[in-house]
Amino acid sequence: MIAHRHKVLFSVIGAVALVVLGAVVSMVILLSGAYSTAATKQHFLITYRILELGLKYSVASNAADIVVPDLKRVANVEVGHACYREHCVQCHGAPGVARDPLGRGQLPSPSSLEQSAREWPSSHLFYVTQQGVRMSGMPAWEFRISEQGLWSTVAFLKRMPTMTAAEYKQFTASSANAECPKPTTAGVYSNERAQLMLRQYACDNCHIIEGMVGPVTHVGPSLENWRERKYIAGVLPNTPENLVRWIVDPQGVSPHTLMPDLKVIEPHAQHMARYLMTASD
Amino acid sequence: MPSQASSSVIHPAPNSGAELIDQLGTVLYVGGAVIFVVVMILAIWGVYGRGRTINPQRWIIGGGLVFPAVTLTVLLVYSLAVGNALTAIGTSNALQLFLECFGGGNAAANAREPSNGLLRIHVIGKQWWWEVRYEQPGNGEPVVLANEIRMPTNQAVELVLSSTDVIHSFWAPSLAGKVDMIPGRTTRLRLQTSEEGTFRALCAEYCGGQHALMMLFVVTQEPTAFNAWLAQQREPAVAPTDSFLTLGHDAFFKGECHTCHTIRGTPANGTDGPDLTHVGSRKSLAAGVLNNHIGTMAGWIAGPQEVKPGNKMPETKAFTGVELRALSAWLGSLQ
Amino acid sequence: MRAALIVSCALLTACAVDTEPLPQVTGGNAERGRDVIREYECGVCHVIPGIPAASGRVGPALDAYARRPYIAGKFPNQPETLVRWILDAPAMAPQTAMPAIAMSHQEARDAAAYLYESD
Repeated sequence: MIAHRHKVLFSVIGAVALVVLGAVVSMVILLSGAYSTAATKQHFLITYRILELGLKYSVASNAADIVVPDLKRVANVEVGHACYREHCVQCHGAPGVARDPLGRGQLPSPSSLEQSAREWPSSHLFYVTQQGVRMSGMPAWEFRISEQGLWSTVAFLKRMPTMTAAEYKQFTASSANAECPKPTTAGVYSNERAQLMLRQYACDNCHIIEGMVGPVTHVGPSLENWRERKYIAGVLPNTPENLVRWIVDPQGVSPHTLMPDLKVIEPHAQHMARYLMTASD
Repeated sequence: MPSQASSSVIHPAPNSGAELIDQLGTVLYVGGAVIFVVVMILAIWGVYGRGRTINPQRWIIGGGLVFPAVTLTVLLVYSLAVGNALTAIGTSNALQLFLECFGGGNAAANAREPSNGLLRIHVIGKQWWWEVRYEQPGNGEPVVLANEIRMPTNQAVELVLSSTDVIHSFWAPSLAGKVDMIPGRTTRLRLQTSEEGTFRALCAEYCGGQHALMMLFVVTQEPTAFNAWLAQQREPAVAPTDSFLTLGHDAFFKGECHTCHTIRGTPANGTDGPDLTHVGSRKSLAAGVLNNHIGTMAGWIAGPQEVKPGNKMPETKAFTGVELRALSAWLGSLQ
Repeated sequence: MRAALIVSCALLTACAVDTEPLPQVTGGNAERGRDVIREYECGVCHVIPGIPAASGRVGPALDAYARRPYIAGKFPNQPETLVRWILDAPAMAPQTAMPAIAMSHQEARDAAAYLYESD
């Protein structure tokens, strides 16, 4: 008989060995490139189902606090349709309208919203539209569509499954003058939200930014310790006002600069400038 | 900083006060080494020598009293003579005879009959730069500049040293010893050399955070070249000659630089910072820290606190990129 | 033991991911380039790796220069373009704060070579 204390020791050794073996196997799989990241390779069924379920439960949990307003008062279906036309139909399609090539080559494939809109509660639809879905092609729209616009989009989504192809086409014509509203305020400042904005405008894809997890990128200069810098783009003195001016209109400040016009609204630019100037505190 | 400037105590400029000091030092070093070797030999002999009897009293009196008395007296006279020679540079003095006996009095001897009288230069130490004022004959307005001293070769120059804030010390290692610059007092240092060249001088008394970056260049030139330089320094600033330089000139005032700096010939008459009338002609910027070209000028103006943290030139956000370059070019044109 | 050896070999080869070679300046010497940068005191405006006195914040830091796609946010980062920029930046971007530096073409090449080889 193995003594009791030896049993415990052997169990511990066995557990550690399993963990180490698991780590080694994972490393081999990772570094050898055996796991395919191609969008053309199908998931295993079990993987797919787990991801699907995970999305459902995560959205349900995170959207639980969202209070749905009276959509008849707050939302405008035609405005919602304008937003859908501008931002969604390219990937998701619509009744009688095929999605663009943009929406066809993806894994996971963007859902056909006619079904999702029937099954998902408004708060869930709002959450996914506002916050996006990571590791998929679904962006977050929080910083590009105002809150009223987002609820209008949800209202339209609820209406869309009731339309025939012809009705959709007619609706498109009749709501041609509606516009999808952009946000006009930035809310209360916080470092986290400022970081979120920087990510949502893809700033961290060209610039290394303090406090943010992102690629090591050298397309634009690093923005670390930005407060110490004397010039913006080598042209404007580095003051908060000039920084906002630069973010909002780089081409106006320095023609032919490779920093594109990202259509940053000024309230967002002010938060981002404040973050950059104070991040090294 | 300019790399060709000499600042070595053991390679002093010819016929300078530093040469006298170096010679004194050599005498002490060599003499001391000889005495050390002799004493060591005696000690070894005392331990290992084959038991010869000696007369202790003779050794004690001879080696312990007579020898030191003689040696130290000679040394005392010699070092007093050197000290006197250093302060006597440029004036006639009876002790020069003494110095010529030792062969170390060339500096004093050459200047026994100064031709133009003593050239006096007031050097006022400030945190962390040097104000320099050349006395003009007949109570004329002094020629004011900063952070550089030029002097003619083979002519004695007296620096009249003082300070407006804390104790600094003027030290040009290849030319002379150190003399403190004390607020509320005046001290004097005489310089002379026969060689043309550029010598680095530095502050030798801790005076605050940027003490280590408080330097200047002493440039010695042939008298004609020196006189031409001094005449140039006396002139007011040249007017800008093209639109780019004019932009720089205007930027100087837009950026409020005139509240601290003087540029004669313009409305700028601030006195908190160095006189910039001929800043383009200097060998260095920021008191011996940077070379002087448009790049360093721009970098200094736009980022003084990175070059000399804590120095009194404030950060400015007043200039666009073009204005900064124009301002740097204009200041560089003030030769 | 043999299994461990095979695994580690696989790992080692796997770690070496192919990347494109970084640009080089023909005819430029990085060692001399460091001296050029020190002599012209580029560090007054730029933080430059390997040169402690280079601590300026007027212009951007020049680390990992070979990996940057662009010079001064406007021009594709290629050796000849960088040399031209160092010598006469205002000719390429009239509003820049960086002045034209009076150095020889060879010195600019050497400085560019140093930047490309710095981390």
